[in-house]
Amino acid sequence: MSLDTLLVVASGGLVLGAIYALMASGLAVVWTTLGIFNFAHGAFIALGAYLGWQLSHAEASGLGLLAGALGAVAAMFVIGVCFHYALVRPFERKANIVAASVITTLAGAAIIENGISLVWGPRSKQMPRLAEGDVALGPVVLSASDLVLLVTVAAILAGLGWFLGATRTGRSMRAVAQNREAAELMGLDVPRLYAVSFGLSAAMAGLAGLFVGSIRFMTPTMGADPLMKALIVVILGGVARFTSPIYAALIVGMVEAYSSYFLGLYWTPAVLFALMIAVLVLKPSGLFTSHQRTL
Amino acid sequence: MKAPLLELRGLAGGYDPIQIFQDVDLEVPHDRAVGFFGPNGHGKTTLMKTISGVLEPWSGDVIFEGRRMNRAAERGSRRWRNFNYDAIIPRRMDPKAVARAGLIHVAQGNLLFPEMTVEETLSIAPIAAAGRAGGAAETKRRRDEVEALFPRLAERRRHKARYLSGGERQMLSIAAGLMAAPKLLILDEPTLGLSPRLRGELCDAIRQVRAGGVPLILIEQDVGFLKELIDVLYLFDHGRISRRLTRDEVPSHDRLMAMLFGERE
Repeated sequence: MSLDTLLVVASGGLVLGAIYALMASGLAVVWTTLGIFNFAHGAFIALGAYLGWQLSHAEASGLGLLAGALGAVAAMFVIGVCFHYALVRPFERKANIVAASVITTLAGAAIIENGISLVWGPRSKQMPRLAEGDVALGPVVLSASDLVLLVTVAAILAGLGWFLGATRTGRSMRAVAQNREAAELMGLDVPRLYAVSFGLSAAMAGLAGLFVGSIRFMTPTMGADPLMKALIVVILGGVARFTSPIYAALIVGMVEAYSSYFLGLYWTPAVLFALMIAVLVLKPSGLFTSHQRTL
Repeated sequence: MKAPLLELRGLAGGYDPIQIFQDVDLEVPHDRAVGFFGPNGHGKTTLMKTISGVLEPWSGDVIFEGRRMNRAAERGSRRWRNFNYDAIIPRRMDPKAVARAGLIHVAQGNLLFPEMTVEETLSIAPIAAAGRAGGAAETKRRRDEVEALFPRLAERRRHKARYLSGGERQMLSIAAGLMAAPKLLILDEPTLGLSPRLRGELCDAIRQVRAGGVPLILIEQDVGFLKELIDVLYLFDHGRISRRLTRDEVPSHDRLMAMLFGERE
């Protein structure tokens, strides 16, 4: 076993971890703010990927990758807001909002996935690579595409951190997540902040979908696997702080890469779920948390 | 005759399906402070939450500066109870609208936002003042006033609310309320559970706020402190206002308890 092999596997894990971090952060934004789990997050990934394909691919609109990505992410924000108003908002004041939203978001996921089948057909597609060529960083050779992905994800997550920490809207979103009643008494526009959270989460899912589409084939149900991984990430890391799912995502990405290489692809889910169960037994609030759920 | 600052007409409310209070009629004149005194668990806090719109009123009206804050119509009819889509059946009262009108409620034992620092909390507090008194210079001036009032908070600017002591949290709640440029401030048992020293510090701050001309609704268990600040005292028990006393009529604590619970044998 050479060091080079380990490094190559690690770079694969890093790329996976970055995608999971993007997904899990989006999931966590809705989870912490609205207190519900959005089962349509995986469908958002697929929809983002297909919208990106539609806008950028030469056989479709052919606007180029950058314009396609920007357009898809913007469209996903709007779709997220609409999704919130149609499927979550009507039940917001009910006592059983959590149970109701499980059903409505699952329904939404089914509608989106079948809508994709209807529009684009079930044949798998692929996004063009983000960039061509390889980049050597010391002993590690990364493909330029992976490097673009890593840099973009890092920039987006840093941007999200800045947004939540330094802007008035971001701080208001955290306030609503931490104490809804106090936020209402402060005159914050809670329904609007919920809608913004949902839109932001969907936009991040859409971007993650573009990345998934560039390293794997796109199918209407392509979101199911990353959604499961994001769920593991969120459980593993907890959501006490906005950075905790990011660390957990890197761990999950690494574990997935190494166990796929050493144990075989089919053992990876078993390893990840064993890890998740262990964390649930030993530290149910997540590895990086000592406190309650918040943003 | 100018309309009162806040007027409640036959207000009733509670936690569905249990009604907590009924038939509350009340006027808070401009530039005045009113107090509430009564046993725990009789609905004072629920009444305040209904005034600020966190709970929906079941019937009656909340009128602030001559503007009715709740929608007309009785509490949603049975048929529509399970169909509460905002776009079709709107909330009867919107806490955001109440706060932005200038009626600021500092809730009882309010922890505000545990993972946010004092600085962050105070930076979003002026949102309720937006469009009313939201200028940057105005906000800055209020910020300085608040820091002069609570020097402890200025020291703890970078601390998260979770790490503050009970008294400091209460100070932060009041400070956040003041940052919203209140036209009427509701303080719900601000000194609950504090040590005597902190209590004294907080009472001084509330005296200063009142001296600055902010109208108050003050819920307190300390009759002496109430009497110092308020113009009218309402005795509240069993979900109703049972008596209205002007400042000069407010008796001693023992006498007040006798009024509420009857003479001791």
